Amino acid sequence: MRGWVLTAVALVACSKAGDGKATPRDAVISAWKADQLAPTSMAPAQVAFAKDCQGGTVSGVDVLVCNFASPAEAKAAEDPGLAWIGATTGAAQAHGAALIVAADRKKSDPSGRTINKLMKLAPN
Amino acid sequence: MPRSSCVLVALALALWTAPATASAGRQVRYIGIHPLPKAEGGGICYIEGPHVHVYDADKVQYRDHRGAHYFVGDPVAYGYDGQRYAYKGHHPIHVSAVVGDSEPDDEYCYLSGPHYHYFAPPEGPEFQLTGGAYFFVGEPPHAYVEARPALMKINAVYQPLVYERPVVTVDAPVGWIGARAEFAVPAVVVASPPPVVVAPTVVAPAAGIRIDAHVPMPSVHVDIGIGAPAVIVHERPVIIEERVRVKHDHGRHRGHR
Repeated sequence: MRGWVLTAVALVACSKAGDGKATPRDAVISAWKADQLAPTSMAPAQVAFAKDCQGGTVSGVDVLVCNFASPAEAKAAEDPGLAWIGATTGAAQAHGAALIVAADRKKSDPSGRTINKLMKLAPN
Repeated sequence: MPRSSCVLVALALALWTAPATASAGRQVRYIGIHPLPKAEGGGICYIEGPHVHVYDADKVQYRDHRGAHYFVGDPVAYGYDGQRYAYKGHHPIHVSAVVGDSEPDDEYCYLSGPHYHYFAPPEGPEFQLTGGAYFFVGEPPHAYVEARPALMKINAVYQPLVYERPVVTVDAPVGWIGARAEFAVPAVVVASPPPVVVAPTVVAPAAGIRIDAHVPMPSVHVDIGIGAPAVIVHERPVIIEERVRVKHDHGRHRGHR
């Protein structure tokens, strides 16, 4: 029984990742990579305000990119997304159906230029 | 202005304009480019969209835009190195156009002389580009006039800052707000009367006289007028009182020698 469940989960995961349809997050990360802002390996992240998020680091800035079903849902998650930033400089902005949250926890972006670029490169 | 007064003015302005750290790491919302406090390393935050920091903004250089602090001062004064546009005198700032949202919000810049912003005004009849600088030639609304006495204080913040300001040598166009009598601004008036020394009246013999000179701290009163350049600094005169104390010589007094 357990084997069937694991197989089913794996199939669902494969279909999500391999159905050929780019997610809002894919578009964001592609735009970053095109401008030499490749994130470190993005890993699934559990947050209270979204179900499908991945986190990583870009030029020392912690980033979280979440997929939503609609731009309105992503917009509504901007304020809750600020909680992920914590007590540091950061931004949470919806771009289309993606929510991008950036936090400069390591103080590696004192002028905010990296955060600004991450937000401006992201497609709407 | 005496050096001591300059130091006091600078100290007062520093305390007045210094953003405080938000209590217990509380997030404070900002939108648009703005200066960073010296405690955070100084310079400029280049994040154009909405973002958060954990320090507060001062009341004179920022306006509220949908709950976020929006900087209305001259970023070049703090080291901004991006594209800039020269202005002269007061003018409206259409914040929603600058930050790219749909929330109508017109704020007003009360910097009286030539200064920079990182945005150009929208095309239209209310601004005229003359000699490389934008002049506001529109009709200022009541909100501008009403807030002016309080927000003109921003000029006292920028007056001591040393940075490369735009040089505007052309005559202002007709209708410029700075040339209209009803919005005219007194020139900078720095009144510093000479110190007044109150001479002592000597009523005692010279022997045993001790003179205590009491020099009160100079009191600087900064008054802000209307228009450009608008900083009027009145300094109260320094009054030096000399007190004379008489020591009795128990009958051995022999008069002045």
